[in-house]
Formats: sequence, structure tokens, C-alpha cells
Amino acid sequence: MSFWETITGSDLTREWKAFEVRAAALPPDHRAAWEQIKSHLFLYGDFTGRNLMPIFDGALGLLEETAADGQSIHDVLGDDIEGFCAALAGGEGARTFRDRWRAQLNRNVARKLGRLGG
Amino acid sequence: MGIQDIIEGKRQWRAHLARVKALPPDYQIVYKEIQRYYFKVGPLELTEGDLLSGLVDFFEEGAAAGKGVLELIGDDVAAFADGLIKDSRTYADVYQESVKQKPRK
Amino acid sequence: MDDLTEMLKGTLEGCVLQIIGREETYGYAITRRLNELGFHGVVEGTVYTILLRLEKNKLVQVTKRPSEQGPPRKFYALNDAGRKELATFWAKWEYVSSRIDKLKEGGR
Repeated sequence: MSFWETITGSDLTREWKAFEVRAAALPPDHRAAWEQIKSHLFLYGDFTGRNLMPIFDGALGLLEETAADGQSIHDVLGDDIEGFCAALAGGEGARTFRDRWRAQLNRNVARKLGRLGG
Repeated sequence: MGIQDIIEGKRQWRAHLARVKALPPDYQIVYKEIQRYYFKVGPLELTEGDLLSGLVDFFEEGAAAGKGVLELIGDDVAAFADGLIKDSRTYADVYQESVKQKPRK
Repeated sequence: MDDLTEMLKGTLEGCVLQIIGREETYGYAITRRLNELGFHGVVEGTVYTILLRLEKNKLVQVTKRPSEQGPPRKFYALNDAGRKELATFWAKWEYVSSRIDKLKEGGR
């Protein structure tokens, strides 16, 4: 049984459907990224989806929020979606990604505050 | 429960966002970037604590005192953000633990 | 003296406990006290993360009080566990500083 069947065939269905409703509201690029993130994260979910749900939720929240801000998908995820997903799930390279996210946070703040100051 | 339901339901979440919108622009920028960072890192406090609303409390105080946001938290925003979740486990930690408990066949 | 951040990392929590131990106080006042002491790099945000941790570890008692300007302020006082933690901090500090002094003086 695939992960997809496991989760769609279980009590997680409703929660999962809510995710898809939210994803459908995303702009095309962000929706495409969601599909990619799903397929990569599924690699981690060969036994149960439950423990991955908050991770999916966080990824979707990130996409929603950056879409609302008009940020491009590349700005958000970078080139390495596979690595990004591994990091989300705490897999290999998670620490490197955390460092990258940290740097990204400071860079974004500096850029946006700079723009604000004129 | 979802991230959008962080603060007990959507209505509270909207009220929370309204509070964010009422902050001065520099505070809003920093708040948003920190929240985005937390969405990636996934600390359990996002859904189980009052991490974000506590942060807005703190920002409201700083703004009311007439301080700039970097004056309040320092230039290294990431260090501040990490400080707030220092001892917190993340969803990724929980996931990794569950993988170790149930080894793959 | 600038850039004490790394060196202060392990001790700042103890400093904050000590300040709270003197009298019930709030984040901004604690920050100012540390700045006056000569730790100029310490900002309110740093103190806030420490206070949050002290609260989470149940070492302080928190009371919200209205303030003249803006939203209510959180005031912090030590509880029994906090006082114990503070005593431990000073014991550790004595140990570390005495060892380091010894090292500096060329002892073994």
C-alpha cells in the first residue's frame, strides 16, 4: 500500500482534504511547489502519515504566507526542493538548512528594513 | 489542528493577525520573517504554546515605548528567533523519533 | 568592551536571576540594569528570551500589571525553585572563576 492510500484511506482523510482545499487556493507556482513537496515528503512516510501531518502543515503555511506576500517560489525554497524536504523532516542536511534559513531570515529582514528606510 | 489554528481557531488567528497589522512597519516585517522561519523549523510551541502571541505582546510593548524593532531585539534576528525556541523540540524531531521506534522492514 | 556575546552566553541567565532576586522587576528594567553594569550589547530581546525560558522552567512568578504607556507589563519575581537555581548558579560561578584564576596564575 502506498503512503497516499494509507493516508487517504484512514481517519487522516479529512485533515488531508483540508490541506488540498488550502493548496487549491494557491497561485500556480506555489501549487506546483506543493505537489513537489508532497512527492518528496512521501518518501519519508512509508508507515504512517500522522507524524508527518504537522510538517506538511508547516510547509503549506509557508507557501500560503509567501504567496500572500508575492514572494517567488524560488525565493522561498531555493533550488533544492529535495534537500528542503529532507530538512523539514529532520533528515540528512537538516542542520545545514537550518543555517541557511537563519541567514535567509537575517538577509530578508535587512533588505526589507532597508527598503522601508528609503 | 493546523498552523492556521495555532491560537485556538481561526477567529483567534485572524484577531492575532490584526494585532500584527497594527504594529509599526518595521515590527511587522520582522514578525513576518520570524514566523516564516518558524514554519520551516517547526517548533512544537507553534501549536502547543503561545510562542507567536507572546512575541506580539513583546513587540507591542517595544513599539509602545517608541523603540525600533532592531533596537529592541538586536541586529541578529535569527539569534533572537532561535533564543525563543531554544529548548523546544521540533516536528522534525518528533518525526525522527517515530521513525526510530518503528524501524523499516 | 565589545562583543561579549559569546562569553556571556552561559552566565546571562544567572545575571537575570540575580537581578530578579533583588526585587520584582520587568524586562526593560532588567536590560537597563545590565547595560548600566557595562554589558552594553545586551538588548531587550535577549532578556525576553531568557525570561521566557525562566517562565517555562517554572523558576519565576509572573504578574501582569498595567503600565503608564502601552500594554500591561509582565513583572517577574523568583519563586523557591528560582532561588535554588540562583544559588546553584553562584556555586558554579565560584567554581569556574576560581579554576580559571588558578590557570591564569600558572597553577595546575
